[in-house]
Amino acid sequence: MRSLLRLAVLLVVCLSGIGCSEGEDARFVDWNKRAPMALPRQEPAITYAYLPQYTHAVSFERHRRILEYLRQATGLPFRQVFPSTFAEHMAMVERGDIDISFTNPFVYVLLHHRAGAQVFARAVEEEGGADFQGQIIVRADNAAVTTLDDCRGKTWIAVEPTSAGGYLFPLALFHEHGITLDQFARVEFARGVGGKQEQVVLAVLSGAYDIGTIRKGTLNIVARRYDTSAIRVLAETPPYPGWLFCARKDLAPEVVDQVARALVALRLPDDADILTPAGLTAIIPATHADYRPIEKLMHTLGMETLP
Amino acid sequence: MKGLLSRLSFETKLNLGITAIIATMALALLPFVASITKDALLEEHRKRGVDTAVALAARAVDPLLALDFLRLQELVAEPQDVTYIFVQDRAGRVLAHSFGPDFPVDLAAANHATPQKPIHIQLIDNGMERIDDIAALIRVHDEPIGTVRLGLSRRTASEILDHLVATLMIIFLTGLTLASAAGTLFARTITSRLDRLQSRAEALRQRHLSEPSPAHPKPPGHGDEISALEHAFSAMAHELDHRMNELLQTQRRLEEQTRLLSTVLDANPDRICLRDTRMIYHAANEAFCQAVGVAKKDIPGCTDFDLFAEDEAERRHLEGRDVLTSGQRMERQEQETTSQDARWFHVIQIPVRGSQGRILGLLRMERDITAMKDYERQLIQSQKIESLGKLAGGVAHEINTPLGIILGTTQLLLDDVPADSSIAEDLRTIERHTKACRKIVADLLEFSHASTSEKVEMCFNNSVMEAISLVRHTFSLDQVTIATDLDDSFPIIYGDPEELKQVWVNLLTNARDALPKGGIIAVRTTLLRAESCVRLEVADTGIGIDAASLSKVFDPFFTTKPVGQGTGLGLSVSYSIIEKHRGHIQVHSPVPETFAWPVPVDGPHRGPGTLFTVTIPLDHASLEDDHGPYPRP
Repeated sequence: MRSLLRLAVLLVVCLSGIGCSEGEDARFVDWNKRAPMALPRQEPAITYAYLPQYTHAVSFERHRRILEYLRQATGLPFRQVFPSTFAEHMAMVERGDIDISFTNPFVYVLLHHRAGAQVFARAVEEEGGADFQGQIIVRADNAAVTTLDDCRGKTWIAVEPTSAGGYLFPLALFHEHGITLDQFARVEFARGVGGKQEQVVLAVLSGAYDIGTIRKGTLNIVARRYDTSAIRVLAETPPYPGWLFCARKDLAPEVVDQVARALVALRLPDDADILTPAGLTAIIPATHADYRPIEKLMHTLGMETLP
Repeated sequence: MKGLLSRLSFETKLNLGITAIIATMALALLPFVASITKDALLEEHRKRGVDTAVALAARAVDPLLALDFLRLQELVAEPQDVTYIFVQDRAGRVLAHSFGPDFPVDLAAANHATPQKPIHIQLIDNGMERIDDIAALIRVHDEPIGTVRLGLSRRTASEILDHLVATLMIIFLTGLTLASAAGTLFARTITSRLDRLQSRAEALRQRHLSEPSPAHPKPPGHGDEISALEHAFSAMAHELDHRMNELLQTQRRLEEQTRLLSTVLDANPDRICLRDTRMIYHAANEAFCQAVGVAKKDIPGCTDFDLFAEDEAERRHLEGRDVLTSGQRMERQEQETTSQDARWFHVIQIPVRGSQGRILGLLRMERDITAMKDYERQLIQSQKIESLGKLAGGVAHEINTPLGIILGTTQLLLDDVPADSSIAEDLRTIERHTKACRKIVADLLEFSHASTSEKVEMCFNNSVMEAISLVRHTFSLDQVTIATDLDDSFPIIYGDPEELKQVWVNLLTNARDALPKGGIIAVRTTLLRAESCVRLEVADTGIGIDAASLSKVFDPFFTTKPVGQGTGLGLSVSYSIIEKHRGHIQVHSPVPETFAWPVPVDGPHRGPGTLFTVTIPLDHASLEDDHGPYPRP
C-alpha cells in the first residue's frame, strides 16, 4: 500500500507541470502603457457615394476602382462614403456631405428637385445600354391575353415596388392605357432575395400568374437555363434613361467638369478593369433634359413624394 | 531485488504489477494525452479566435466603410468571450476597442495581418498572462480596408488543460484503486485456493490426506486453470496416497525381508560379505564381523586393507578383482592358519549382477569345512579299515582251518606225551600260541563282520557294569581303580550286548594298559535326552597318547604295546562295533580339563590320560534308518 502511495505522489509530481509548459515565443506588451484613442480625423476630400442599392462592401467593390481612377485622372482627393439608406443618401446630398452621387433616375429627379443636384454623366450598362425598358410577358399559349386591355382582371406578378423596369415602367404604360392597379385581379411581387427578375419569368411560365413584368434583357439571361420559347412578350415600355452621375448643387463646376471629362474618357476594352466591376460598359455625357421622361412618369404615377 | 520480489506475497506482486501497469500507462499516456489535448485545445482556441475574428472582420466591413464608429464600437463591445477586440483602419489606427477608456498603445503594432497572410496569430505576454492575438484582415474582395484584432487569453485553455489533466489523474488513481481492489480480491481468490492446495500438500506430506482428498476426484467441470490444477492435484494426491500406501507396504515387506535376510545371514555360520566394484564393503554378516573383529555397523565403507593384514588383504583384493574382471564364479578351498589352529574354508566368490546384467558387486562366502575335512579323513580311514577287514577276514578264514588242525594235533600229542616232559611243555607252548593265533583270527573275523550279531533292547548301564565287574578284580591287582558315575535313569538302548560288552572291555583294557603303575579309570554314562542318545566316557590317568598316534589308534594293527602284548585290533574292532550301532567313538588325549572326574585323581603317577567317548543313539528306528540324526563318521 505504501508503494502505491509513493507511485501516486510520483504521478502527481510528474504530471503537475504538463499543463503549464509553453514552448512558443511570446511578444511582450506593456499593459500599463495606455492612452485614450482619439478617432482619426478625416482628411478633406471629394466625397463620392453609390446609392445604397447593395451592401457597403458591394458598393465599395464596384466603385473603388472608379475612385482610384478619378484620383489619378483629376489629382483630386476622393473618398467613398457609404450612406445606409436612400433617405440618408438623399439627406447627405442635401447637407453637402456627398459631392458626387451615382444614383438611379428616380432618386436623381427627387434630388434635383429637392437639393438642386445636377446630372453630368450617364452610365451605359451591360444590360440595356444607356436606356432601359420594361416588358410585359405572358405565356405564349395564353390566348386570353393578347392586348394590354386583356390585362384587366388578370393576376400580375412584378419584380418589386421600386423596380423601374420590372414594375414602374410597365405600371406607367398601363396608366397610359387607362388601366389602373385596382383593375387587376391581383398584383404581387416576387419574394425572396435576389433573382427576382428570374422568379417573375418562372412564375409566368408555371402559369401561377397571367402576366409578369420584367426589365428588358431578363429573358436572355433566363434563356440560358430555361426554355423561354413558351413566353410571349405582350408589350414593351418606351426606353428610359438609366443610372447617372450627379453633383451636389454647390460643387465647384470645374471639379464637376474634371470628373465628367475623366469618366467620359473611360473606354472598353482598355478600361475594362475599371468599368466591368461597376457593371458598366461606358459613361456618356448627360444633362437634366435626358431625364424628362422620368419626371413625366413620376408625375403620371403620382410619385413626387417618393423617397 | 530479485530476492525481495521472490519474498513478496502473490497478492502484493499482483497489486504491484497492476500498479506498475496503470502507473506506466499513466506516465506514458498522460504527457502524451496532455500534449495532444493541449495542442488540440490551443488549436481549437485559436480556431475559435480566428473564426470570431473572421466573422468580426466580415461584419466590420460595412461600419468601417461607412466609418460608423458607433456600430464599430457596438461590434467590439459585443460579448465574445475574448480578452479584447479592436478594429484598426488600413493605416493601423485604432477605430474602436474593448479596453474601456485607455488602450494599451503598444498592442496596436504588436501584430499585423497582410494580404499575403490575412490571418496572423501572435502570442502576447502582458506580464500577467499569455494571450493569442489574432489579426484578421478586413477586406472587400481582395482590398484590405482594415484589421480586426482579437485577444484570447490562454488562461482559459490552461485551466481547461489543468482540469483535464487533474480529471485524468483522478480517473487513473480511481482506476488504480479499483484495479488494486479488484486485484486484491482476485489475488485473494487465487491465494485462498493456492493456500488450500498448499495445506493439502502439507497434509499430503504429513500423511493426512484422507479428509481433503476425495476417494474419487470429480472430473473437471467449468472452471479456470486453478480449478483444473486443484482437480489435478486431488487426482495426484489420491494417486499418490494410493502409491504411498503401496510403497509403505512394499517398504514394510522389504524391511521384513531385509530383517529376515539379515537374520538368515547372521544365523549362517558362513562368513558372508558384499563388496562393490571398487572393492569397498557394503555389508557383511555376523560371522564375518566376528572373524574380522569389526562391528557390523562399521563394515560399510571398509576395504580389505582395513580388515585384514596386508598380505591377506592383497590376496583377497586381487582375487576379487579377478572375479569382477572375468565375471566367472570362483570356488576353492583354502586353509587359514592361526597360532591356535588351522582351519579349512570353502570360499565362493560370485559376481552380483543387476537387471541389465551389469556387474554391481561381489559376494564372498567362506564356509568353515574343517569338520568336514575331518569327516573326510575319517571316511578314508573307514574305507581303509573296511578294505583291510575284508582282506583280514579272507586270510583269517583260510588260516582258521590249519590253526584248528594245528591245535587239535597239538592237543592229541599232549595226550600222548607225559605232562611233565619237555615235549609236553613245548606242545603246551604250541597250544598256547595257536590259541593266541585263533584269538587273533577270531578278532579278525569279528572285525571283518564275519560274525553275526543280534540286537536286543538292553540296559546300557548294566552292559557297562557287566564289563566293569568282569575286569574290576583283575585290574585291582594292578593298582588300577575303576570309578563309576552311571546315569541313574538307566537308559535302554537297542544293541548287541555281547559286542558292546567286548567294546567296553576293550576300552577298559586299553585304559589299564596305559596305567602300568596303577591309577584311576573313570567310567561315566550319560543320557543325552536332547540328542536322544547315550554317552559313555572312559578316562584314565595314564600315560596318554601322543598327537601323532592319536589319529591312528583306530587303525588295525596299530599298537604302542610291545610285540606279543597286543594285536592292534582291539580299538579297530571296537570302532567297527560302534559303527554298526550307528554310534561313534572319539579319543582325546590328554583328558580335557572340562572332564569332571568322579573321584579325585591327583595321584603320584598321574599322566595326561586318555578319554574315549562313545555315543550310541537310543532311537530304535534310527538304528535301522540310514539317515539317522547321527551322521556316520
